[in-house]
Amino acid sequence: MPVDHKRINAPESAVPYKLFTKLNTESLKEQYQKAIRDGIRVDGRKPSEHRKIFLKTGIVAHAKGSAYIEQGNTKVVTSVFDPREIPNRTDYCLKGEIYCEFKFAPFSCPKRRLHQQDSQEKECSAIMKKALEAVVCREEFPNFQVDVYALVLHNDGSALSAAVTAAGVALASAGIPMFDIITSSTLAIQGEHSLFDPNFREELLSEIAIEKEHGVVILCVTSTHQQISHFHQTGNLQLNTITQSIDTLHNTCKEIVPVVQKCLVKSVLSVISES
Amino acid sequence: MLILSSEKTDNPARIERTYYLISENIRIDGREREDYRPMEIETDVVSHAFGSSRLRLANTDVLVAVKIEVDAPYPERPLEGKLEFFVDCSANATPEFEGRGGEELAVELSNCLSSAYRSEEVFNLKKLCIMKGRKCWKLYVDILLLEVGGNLFDAVSIAVKAALWNTQIPKIKSINVDGSNIDIQVCDDIFSCTKLDVTGAPLMVTVCKIGDKCIVDPNAAEEQCSVGAVVVAVSRGNICTISQTGTGSFHPDTFKSCLILGISVAQRLEDSLTETLGEIKANQDVGFLK
Amino acid sequence: MEKQNLICLPGQRLSLCDKTHTSGKGTYDRRGYIYSNISGIVDVVIKDGIKILEVHSPGLQTIVPAQGDVVTAQISIITQQYCKCYIKCIGDKILRRHFKAILRREDIKATEKDKIDVYKSFKPGDIILARVLPITEAHNYQLSTAENELGVAVAYSEHGHPMIPISWTEMQCIKTYVKEPRKVAKLIPENIHEDLIARLSETTTKV
Repeated sequence: MPVDHKRINAPESAVPYKLFTKLNTESLKEQYQKAIRDGIRVDGRKPSEHRKIFLKTGIVAHAKGSAYIEQGNTKVVTSVFDPREIPNRTDYCLKGEIYCEFKFAPFSCPKRRLHQQDSQEKECSAIMKKALEAVVCREEFPNFQVDVYALVLHNDGSALSAAVTAAGVALASAGIPMFDIITSSTLAIQGEHSLFDPNFREELLSEIAIEKEHGVVILCVTSTHQQISHFHQTGNLQLNTITQSIDTLHNTCKEIVPVVQKCLVKSVLSVISES
Repeated sequence: MLILSSEKTDNPARIERTYYLISENIRIDGREREDYRPMEIETDVVSHAFGSSRLRLANTDVLVAVKIEVDAPYPERPLEGKLEFFVDCSANATPEFEGRGGEELAVELSNCLSSAYRSEEVFNLKKLCIMKGRKCWKLYVDILLLEVGGNLFDAVSIAVKAALWNTQIPKIKSINVDGSNIDIQVCDDIFSCTKLDVTGAPLMVTVCKIGDKCIVDPNAAEEQCSVGAVVVAVSRGNICTISQTGTGSFHPDTFKSCLILGISVAQRLEDSLTETLGEIKANQDVGFLK
Repeated sequence: MEKQNLICLPGQRLSLCDKTHTSGKGTYDRRGYIYSNISGIVDVVIKDGIKILEVHSPGLQTIVPAQGDVVTAQISIITQQYCKCYIKCIGDKILRRHFKAILRREDIKATEKDKIDVYKSFKPGDIILARVLPITEAHNYQLSTAENELGVAVAYSEHGHPMIPISWTEMQCIKTYVKEPRKVAKLIPENIHEDLIARLSETTTKV
């Protein structure tokens, strides 16, 4: 996106006021202990409990396909547009491309996000692109790119996973040929606690080393072929923890599939009844 | 991955032979599946940098230099210094990098590096703090790809580790605080510097899936045979980042076996790197492009 | 309708892939099974004793022109050597985003190629039927109208009135009776939308 020079950003020295609140004086360990007490998380979930998902297609009228996902408080809009020529490309390529743009809305996080894509958003876009490229039949549109945009309206953790799941639904509802349905899930690990579908605080706290083992794991799986289309992990984890988390996350991803299926069937039925 | 996939390959027969040989645990250049190609490493090659290294892995050539500057820490993390990676894909390396051609690869590499170094267990940024909330050291790690011959992730991670190992941070003699002014006095003696602790610095291993077997350090022909690769960043036997390159998907079991292979190879790589770095003496007479 | 619509989603396994079942539009086969590619309705077409499984998306399908497709295009620019046009439909599918295409002088007619004049064959704004040639360039589709059934389908005269074909090479304005040269297509609906017509008649008989 071109840089908007006319937009005046807040002075660089501005900081979110939350840094000065009482919560910030607590040590990280205390904060984490507050986040999970007696095996129950702040929002009353068990560690292995996924938040409820709401999925809807066709919410962006101008897009070829679109989907809106709500996962707890995390809200993401994804839209897919018709294939278009790949800009700045002159040679012939057999497989089409997927262009992903993942963006946090400026007001979606506690800290204000800038108008331009920052490095985290770029990284998320790259992860999304790789996850989706494995499921889309790219040989069906050689020389073209399909644009996928994801906008996070509210980030309450697991935004990337929600975006990948929703993008899969948007692609399918746009009639883009796909090998499979894709679902994604996040796991936040800190010491012996593994929290599925973490909210914003849990995700943040798991990225900081409070215990020796910590980290965030994102898994994207295709439903029929049971293939890992993308796996991303950060932090510091042992091999055993990771292999275990692959299995458990895989199961979680499977649990999301019926939601996606139901949503897609609904969208097919609504189109049939219209015509 | 990005570049090599567009590279023209030699004939299909050669690829088929590669395929066949890999299932027999012998590769086209005589290596076994878990073997690396020979590497050459030099440190202290850039005189203006605080630490530098150059790595040559077969045809891949990487030059890494570390620059240090004084900066203010992030308000959210007042106790930590800063570490940033910049990858420059020079058009010298391959013509595809011309213009903005290498940008995607550069972003992928620097993202992977920064997420691998993010954990405190891996690299302790608190050591880079000069004064809480006010001043800290900022390390700029500039990675220059001089030649691309496959397996960039591994080469870059080794070179970065060696460069950080080589980095010397000036010692601070005194800090004068006068209201909002902070005056830092750096030790005059250029030889009294502190070295960074890089024992936890991660090494990345790219595990390539060919057929149903996994290999490390693929050459160009092998990268063509492969549908996808897993990059495993390993620090002190723990995995600090996993990412995928290419567009292929993996079966969970294959994926796990890739991780196991990656971790064991990384450990061996780590040992030999520490050994090699240990052999380098200070002020050894080596130069760039010797 | 007795037959209920069978809805399937991408990645859904439809049947075995063997001598009597093959994959058609909207499906792919992998390891001996046929899977669906898109979300839509399953359709079984029987041809030469072989069941071809197809999945049809009820909404707008996402397709791009491929070699051999008959497309509907609108002429935008004409020059001495070629004319530029925009592809608007592929077969019976209407596109939302139009694709750029080029129709070279020598691809306009099948015979007497050296005597072809671009400006005597097309005018900007004409709607033509054309076939997609093998794709050689990244951003340009090459079209050909070197068939009797291909060429101008809809055209308007200089004064903006519709024209009707009067010969292979001429069309006449219905208001002013002015004749204008065109490379006229011999419109045979069955030839162009063969399977569409078949399907339409099928559904109407059922209803």
